[in-house]
This record gives sequence, structure tokens and C-alpha cells, in this order.
Amino acid sequence: MLLPKFDYHEPSTLEDALQLLHEMGGNAKLIAGGTDLLVRMKQKIDKPSHVISLARVPGLDEIVPRNGHAVSVGAAASADAISRHELLNDRFAPLALAASRLGSPLIRNRATIGGNLVNGRPAADLPPACMVLEATAKLKSSTAEREVSLNEFFRGPGETVIEPNELMVSIDIETPAAWSGGAYLKLGARKTLEISMVNVAVMLTLKSADGDIADARIAFGAVAPMPVRGFAAEDMLKGEKPSADLFARAGELSVGMCSPITDHRGTMEYRCMMIEVLTKRALGEAYERARAWKP
Amino acid sequence: MTQFNILGSRAPKLDAPAKATGRAVYVDDMTMPGMLTAAMVQSPIAHAKILNIDTSRALKLPGVKAVITAKEAGLVKYGVSPARYDETLFAHDKVRYVGDEVAAVAAVDPETALEAVELIKVDYEELPAVFDMFEAQKEGAPLIHDEFPGNINAEVHQEFGETEAALAECDLVVDHTFLNKRQDAAFIEPHTCIAVFDLNGKLTLYSSTQVPHYVMRTVAMVCRIPVGDVRVVKPAVGGGFGPKCEATPLEMSTVLLARETGKPVRMAYSREQVFLHSRARHQFYAEMSLGVKKDGTMVAVKNKAVLDGGAYTSFGIATVYYSGSLLGGPYNLSAMKYDGHRVYTNKPTCGAQRGHGGVAHRAAFEQLVDMTAEKLGIDPVEMRLKNIMTSGDMTINYLDMSSLGMKECVEAVRDKSGWADKKGKLPKGKGIGMACGFFVSGAGYPIYRSDTYHSTVVIKIGEDGGVVNVLTGSADVGQGSDTAMAMFAAETLGVPLESVRVVSGDTDLSVDLGAYSSRQTLMTGHATKEAAEQIRDKIVKHLAAEMDCDPSSITFRDGNVFFDGGPGDFEKIRTQYIKEHRGWTDPPGGDYLTFREAARLAYLKEGTLVSTGKYKPPPLGGTYKGAAVGTSPAYGCSAQIVEVSVDMETGEITVDDMTDAHDCGQAVNRTSIEGQMQGSLAMGLGECLFEEVKFDSRGRILNSSLGEYRIPTSLDMPNVKSIIVESDEPNGPYGAKEVGEGAIMPTIPAILNAIYDATGARINELPVSSERLFMAMKVRGKR
Amino acid sequence: MKTLIELTINGRKVESAVAPNQTLLQFLREDQGLTGSKHGCGLGDCGACTVILDNKPVNSCLVLAVQANGGEVLTIEGLAENGKLHPIQQAFVDKGSIQCGFCTPGMILSAKTLLDDNPRPTELEIRTAISGNLCRCTGYQKIVEAVQAAADAIEGTEVS
Repeated sequence: MLLPKFDYHEPSTLEDALQLLHEMGGNAKLIAGGTDLLVRMKQKIDKPSHVISLARVPGLDEIVPRNGHAVSVGAAASADAISRHELLNDRFAPLALAASRLGSPLIRNRATIGGNLVNGRPAADLPPACMVLEATAKLKSSTAEREVSLNEFFRGPGETVIEPNELMVSIDIETPAAWSGGAYLKLGARKTLEISMVNVAVMLTLKSADGDIADARIAFGAVAPMPVRGFAAEDMLKGEKPSADLFARAGELSVGMCSPITDHRGTMEYRCMMIEVLTKRALGEAYERARAWKP
Repeated sequence: MTQFNILGSRAPKLDAPAKATGRAVYVDDMTMPGMLTAAMVQSPIAHAKILNIDTSRALKLPGVKAVITAKEAGLVKYGVSPARYDETLFAHDKVRYVGDEVAAVAAVDPETALEAVELIKVDYEELPAVFDMFEAQKEGAPLIHDEFPGNINAEVHQEFGETEAALAECDLVVDHTFLNKRQDAAFIEPHTCIAVFDLNGKLTLYSSTQVPHYVMRTVAMVCRIPVGDVRVVKPAVGGGFGPKCEATPLEMSTVLLARETGKPVRMAYSREQVFLHSRARHQFYAEMSLGVKKDGTMVAVKNKAVLDGGAYTSFGIATVYYSGSLLGGPYNLSAMKYDGHRVYTNKPTCGAQRGHGGVAHRAAFEQLVDMTAEKLGIDPVEMRLKNIMTSGDMTINYLDMSSLGMKECVEAVRDKSGWADKKGKLPKGKGIGMACGFFVSGAGYPIYRSDTYHSTVVIKIGEDGGVVNVLTGSADVGQGSDTAMAMFAAETLGVPLESVRVVSGDTDLSVDLGAYSSRQTLMTGHATKEAAEQIRDKIVKHLAAEMDCDPSSITFRDGNVFFDGGPGDFEKIRTQYIKEHRGWTDPPGGDYLTFREAARLAYLKEGTLVSTGKYKPPPLGGTYKGAAVGTSPAYGCSAQIVEVSVDMETGEITVDDMTDAHDCGQAVNRTSIEGQMQGSLAMGLGECLFEEVKFDSRGRILNSSLGEYRIPTSLDMPNVKSIIVESDEPNGPYGAKEVGEGAIMPTIPAILNAIYDATGARINELPVSSERLFMAMKVRGKR
Repeated sequence: MKTLIELTINGRKVESAVAPNQTLLQFLREDQGLTGSKHGCGLGDCGACTVILDNKPVNSCLVLAVQANGGEVLTIEGLAENGKLHPIQQAFVDKGSIQCGFCTPGMILSAKTLLDDNPRPTELEIRTAISGNLCRCTGYQKIVEAVQAAADAIEGTEVS
């Protein structure tokens, strides 16, 4: 399969990259890992006349803990790096887990968090994880800078709030409170190389090791035009005593938050039932991790 | 079992080091000076009249060297079975599926070729299309081929014994239906070929094919080249599994473009085009009834098949026969009735894929056996043991099971899997299931009516050095036939494997029908053995004369020569050899005369040592219509037991364990045999759980990628306990017979039977996605 | 317009002009004559094109040649030293892990990166490491066995 022709740019600073974006606007696409963009270009879905590589922009792939209370994940950090990162596995489990389930090991070595978020595919692995972690994305253009919550980032299939002249620089996450634990579950046909039929990310915070639920955040992928939060289920969980029954009820409630489609991967009916099962299970897993929380 | 020196060992394959280092040459790795790239123009519409083809803009594009359509290519009809040649290289009056070939271009590089494809303008008048094999048979359905009313491509009606009467006598008759989905072989190397003519008009076609011989014939016929001027060479091939068993439009159009341009031309299918070309597994609908006595004795089978054949015939005639004939065994039956229909639809053409027409109907039947066993309260393993045939039995449809280690296979898997401790004792959500199957070891008759040998082999021994060159038109596509032939030759000649070199896959070397119907071990093996015996006899004759002894006193082993079991007095021969090699620093030494010296002597006496071997099966089978399909000189058979875990809340299936026993007659290369077993099981697992080619309402494939057409990954396939059973096939060289396709037969039903054991849900539609199982369990739960 | 890139391939410095739309796979196969890396699908679904780029196995059909500028590439051709097979290659040969061979170069390179990182992997770790490399012939079992054997062989030589 052949790639169409394009002009290639490899800016060596962020400023240069932003300047190029500013000049080329909608005629340019950014390339980080390339595992989404190059596939779409080979399939003739995207035909940018310019491709701007982030390979030489320094610092974009770093994962930087900040002041012990947060972490900043460079947008060009690979899924592989994220999945292996000790701090992310410890405190920000949904993100590390989701990254470990993305594609295949070969894809994970190139795919980046920025790409996975900006491409805005409804079934993408990382968005629900970022949403339950209440992550914010730092977006820069040549003239401005803004931070957008990942919970307000996605608009529809392939559509996000990012402007054509903006670049995602980093994803910043506050460290979850004590007694927090997370989970990420994905349903596909095979055990790997899958685009989700349904996926669920969860973050649970307890009041204490054996305490009630202080906070709950649930997000789903592949069951709506964009990743969605399960607010109704979250509200129901808050203040409650954790139990298998409670989690089951949260699963039932979650179905109502989603509007899955029937496509050649699965029917709407099945997806709804799987939202229920996966949510219940993800809550159970998150709960176990929350109880095992160590300072 | 006889002890062999080389056969039965785990010799590393001859081509393994080259493949491990990236040095093995596949067609796409080859370049030639001035080579052009070709690309295909294919119909985007499933059924349409062609009103006009305008190639003018493409011809004007700089870098385009030739454009061909039906006008240039001609309209010679071809296909696989001469009885049903229903294709032309390019569509001329209408197109019959999305992907049907309309034109081809050759250009200086791939970009230009693809750009030229876009510039070729075809005016279509869309016709109503039909995509469902039942809809296609209805009154008023769009007619795909004028000569085939009702879109019935082929119809088979066979009966052995009095089936209805026999069923009426049975204590129990159980009915079952089954539906699989169209599949793809998903070999990792897409079809690729390079065609080049020399200045005398002789063609060499390098192609990723399983059947150089059939490709040669079809290319000669369709491209109208004298058959003696067509040479087909198969380099390393990245998998075949069936769809590479016939000449392709890729090959024929590349040949015509090479002739037109006078340059070498290469064309490869993209992965999407591999799906569009298909020639892979049909969709089968099965409807069958099994009648038994209350003690579990099988009496009669009624079997119906409807096949979705796609737009053309390909192997389809054989396929629709196999769906019936391969139920004749491995169980004893008194009566069998089969009615099969292969139907045209406006979709890519289906052909032969591992196990051919036998797989889906075997799956249905093995479920039926389990269902019947359950109703009778008989253990599924016992039910099989009670009914299986044995070596020397003849099936009701005249298939001669000259060797059949079916019982040994069943007992082996029963014992190795721990069946008795598990069956009926596993917790809900865990299940164990078993199934049997068998397959031909080479089709009894060639695809075209002929008295041709199925295999000929030439052996030439190097004039010096004692290297045994085995020259064969047979095709090693990864299964290891080259190594197997080397082992046959080495065993027969009593030389180490390192002394044998195999040159293969080239129609200039010999006739061999190729790698299909699991024929090469038996057929090419026979020819190799015969050639080796002949050449051994020649050497022995000259040695006997030189040593003044009886030829029968001479034996070869490990590259040494024994006279009456001892070294003999061979000084004179050695002295002459050393005299001839004055200056060499590695003269032959040791207590025994070496093969190298003996072969040299024979050369000095008679000239270059060449021998030929040949094989064709005796007339086989019954005299009824279609009796040929299913005949074979031998049958390999297989039993499998599979354990699964089912996630009861999601329907997800994990295959935990597989135990497989296969009777291959006599193991040639144990490692290769296990490899074929494990590979077959992996393909069966994929077909059972994941694989399905999906179409939209306009006949376009939705999942023409290896991302969306899912074959098992390393995380989906468990380890297999592989057991080799050797029943010593009298019709096989050294007792050997097939393994490549017999091993896939039991896999799907073993998994389905295990799923039933785990969940109580009997799934009779593939693939068993988590959703399908989940819904079936839900429905069951409501009852 | 072509760009000049400089990279190390199998230990050798290479300088070449490449078009932006040329993938690393095309560059290796067509410009460098290193045809050991294979084209199976072009979309990163099969892994036949796997090469090691800056110590990580990647689908080279989804890397632009220009993105490999300044990088280090190891292809299957770079494994055997002085004609002697790498222990992983030898294990693949010995264990019957190679049938049609088309997935083999990619498998070996994915396995190599695993063993470099993790000299004593579990079976699950092996299967995960090669989970992006599809094989249609072998059912993976003998490939896993080869990686296990290679791990032993490598450990063995290091200890001695």
C-alpha cells in the first residue's frame, strides 16, 4: 500500500512546530508515532499536503512527576513507555493498563498518548482512562496556550476541541487521593490487536481502607459517538458502602449512559449488556486496588 | 514398526537457515533490470454490464507501458475443472462481483501503475445483484451466468444403500443444521508474481503458487503460448492453504503485460486484493440426520449441503462433492444420501481451503454424533469407538481405508487428555469436547482428465562428491515437502541427509501436480523413492561388477558401503579415486568404502547418473457419478479433544488445552508433522471463534484487512499435546501418508462440543463470537 | 522533494536520499536490498515487517524512512555474525519453528528484544512479546519453544 505524496517538516523546537501549524492550518497533519495517521493516509482517508513531525521537538515524550502531587505525560510519550512506567502503574493505573492493551507490542512502541487522544476514535483505549483520572491536556498554538479537561475534549467520532493550529503538548494529572484505585477493561474478539467492542475505565476513592466510597469516576469507550462518563452511576456510588451488589447496580445504571451502535463488530443489545458486566468488574478491580493503596 | 535411519527423525528443515536469516527469496524479493510494475483494474460494483472501457487517458500517462483489457487478452475460458470453465481473464460483457478484473496496466513504478488504474474509465450499467445463496436460487433472482438457471453452479445427488428405509428402521434419528461463514486463508504473503520472456519467446513466470504445473497449463492455454515455452518457477512461498492452488488473474495478466512490453513485469496483490480474489473457504449450509440403533450403532446418514460459491466456479465442483463424500468415513454406515448444491452469488469466488469441502460438514456431523450420544446416554468417546472403521475397511461410497489408525487416535487423545477424569466432572463454564475426522492423501484423479503421472521425480547424482540432487516440480510452501523428499532419498540411498540437495517447484524439472489435497508426501514421496531405488541399483550394479560380487550383497548406510555387511576389499576403488584427486587434502578415509567413491565409480562406468521415478494412483473408487471426488490412495485421520473455559457473563471463550492425535502412516519428519498438526488446529480455532469475511449490502467486503479479519494471535492459541500415530499405510512410501489437512477436520467440532459441555448451549453457526455464545446462553436460560 | 537521511543499519552507517512518503520498510527492501523484512499487509496488522528501531521492535511499514533519520536499525540480516546464526535463529531452526518463513524475521526480532530485556521470560511474556506478529502456519507453539530454548542457550553461554 502506498502513501500519497506530501511535504515533510521536522521542526526542532516547539515554537517552530507551532509556527508551521499556524502557516499550514488545515493542510497539515502532525505525526508522532504515525500508527494512526499513516494507516489513514494509506487508506486514502487523510491526504495532507504537509506532514509535520514531532520527532525532534525536545521533551514532548517525557513523563515527569511534578511535586509529588501530579504527573505530566508528554503528548509524544509512547503507549509502551506509559504502560511500563512505575509511577503511572502505581498511582494512575487506568492509564497504564489502557496503554498496555492498545494494539500490539509493535504498535505500542510507536503509538503516542497525544495521537490516541487527538484522533478522537470512539473506541480508543486511552480517552476513558484520562477522563476518570480527570486529566487536563495542555494545548498550544503559536499565539496562545490553554488547558482543556479530557472530559470536555471529545466531540464526536474523529472530532475533538483541538484546533487545526494547535498542538497537544502534555497531559497533566493530579495524583488521586489516598485510598484510590483504578481499573481498565476491554472487550474484543481476540486477546490482542483489538479495537474495543466495549471498554471501561474506573477510578474509585474510598474514605479509608475499609471505608465507604468517597468518589467514583467511570468512563466508557466504543459505546457512543465519543467516550462518555457514567455520571448517573458515579452519583449513585458516592457515599455508599462497597459491595458486589452495589457494583452490579452501578453496572445496570451505566447502560443508560451509553448509546452503542450495531456494527459488524457487535450489536447494540450485546454492547449494552457488556457495559453492565465490564463496569461491575472494573469497579470490583478498582476497589481491590483502592484497598491495597499504600502511601 | 521398522526402524529407519532418517525417516521418523526430527531433522531440521533444509530451508530453515535461509528463512531464519532473511536470505530465502520470495517473489517480491526479486528484481530484474528494467522490471515494470503492474496493477489491476477491478469492478467496484457487484453486478453490472460493461458498456465501455476507456483506457486512453491511462495510455497517455508518462511511464505507462501497456494497458490490457479483454480486447487484448482474448476470451479463452478457463477455470479449475475443465467441465466448468466459466471465467475469462478480464470481464468483457459484465462484471459479477466487487473485484472482478476488467483491465491491467504495466508502468515504470508502482505509483504510476496505480495512477493509471485510476485513469481507466469504465462505464457500468448496474444490475440487480444477489448476495445470499438461498435468495439466489429463488424465482426472479438476478441471473449471474446465463447458462446456469437458478444460479445453480453444480448439483450432486448421491445415494448408497436405501437411506429412507434404513432411517425408518432406526431406534433414534437426530437432525441438525449448521452454517459457517465464508473465510479467507490469510496466508501472510500476498499473491505475487514476475513474468519475463526471453528473446526466443520463452516465458518464465515466478509465482507464489502451490501448483506450478496447473499454472503452467492454464497460462499456456489462456495466454495462448505453446505449452513447451511456459516455465513456472515457485520461489519461497509464504503460505498457501488452498487459494494459491490455481492460476490467478494476477499471473495471467502479468504474463500478457510482459509479452506486450518485452520487459519483466511484477504484480502483487495488496492485502485487500487478496480478500477480493478469495478462492478460499466457501460458506456451507448443512442439514443432516443421523439414524442409530439404541446401542449407539450408526446406521444411516442423510446429508444436504448448500454452498455459497461466489461468482465463478474455481474448485467448486470438487468442493460440493467433498461435502458429501467425506462423510462416508470414518464411521461404519449402512446407508448414506447426499444432496448438494453450489450456488452462484455476486461475491468473490470461493475455492479450496485446507480440508476443502469436508470441514463444515465434518463439524456438523461430529456435533450430531455428540447430540445422538447424549440422547442415548453414551459417552462421546465410546460412541466413536463403537462405530469407527479400521484399516482395510471400505466406506459405503467406495473409499478404501487401506490404513486407518482412527481407534488408536481416539484412545490416544482420550488417555492423554485425561478425558475420563474430566468429562462430566468439570465446573460450569468449563468444558471438554471431542471429535474425529479424516482426509485424502492426494486426490485420486488429476483435476484435468488425463493419464498423466501425478508426480515424476528426477534424481541426478553429482559426477563427483556423491551429492544427490533431487529434482522435482513439487511445491514446498512451508509444509516441508523438500525436506521430506530429501529424507526419502537419503533413507533409500543410505546416505546422510546432508548429502541430499533438493531443487523444486520448477515445471522444467518434472511433472508434479503440486501442493494440494495433501498429496506430496505420498505421491511425490513414491516417485522420489522409486528414483532413488533406481539410481541405487545402478550404482550397486557397477560396484558388483567391479568387486565381482553379488549385487544383493551390497548395502548402503550412513554414506558407507557394506559388502555382506562388512567393509569388503575396496582398496582398488579407493586408490583410483585418490589418484584422480591428487592434491586434495581430504581424501576419503575410514574402514568402509564411501558413497562418494561408489557414485564416482558408477559415473566413470556409465556416465552421468540420472534416474526417474513416477507415481500415479491405480483406478480408485466406485462407478457412480462423482465417484472420483473423495478417492485417494490413502487417508490420514485425526482425533482431538479440546478443553475450553467460557466467561459465563460475557460469552468469551478461551481454548485452554488441545490434545491431538493424527495417523500419518509413517512419520517422515516428526517435527514437521507436529507443525502441521499445530498449524491446522490454529486455523480451525480461528475459523471456529473469529473468522468471517463480512459484506455490506452492496457486496463490498467490510473487513478486508488482517486487523478486522481475525486470525489467532499467539495469545489466542494454546499449546497442543501432539501425538503421532503410525498405521503403516500399504499404499504409501515407507508407509507414509498425509497430515496437512486431515488434522483440521476435528478442530471446529471439538471446540463446539466443548462449549456445549461448558454451557449447555449448542452453537451451530460460526464464528462463535462471544456475542453469539452469550445470546445462545441467554436464550437457553429463558427456557 | 527528497531528504538526505543518515542512519545506522545493522551496524553500518548509511546515507541516502529518500522521499517523504517512503516507508522504512520500502527503504530497507527497495533502496538497501535488505529484503528480509517482509510486506504482509502494509497497515501494521501482521508484523511481517518488524525491524528493531532504536532498540524497539516496530512495524516498519508504519514508520517513514525520514523518521528513522539518526536512528539505529537492526534487521534480520544483521543478526547472524560472521555466518554464525544468532542463538534465536539457531533455536528456530532446531525446534521446527519455521514453516513458510514469512513471519520468521519479524518473530525473531520481537523475540530478540524480549530476551535482551528479560533473559528469563515466562511463557506468557513470550506470547505477549510476539503477539503483534501473526503466523498462519505454525500455531505459535514451536516458536514459543524456540524462544525458551534460545533463552536457555543465551543464559548458558553467558554463565560459562
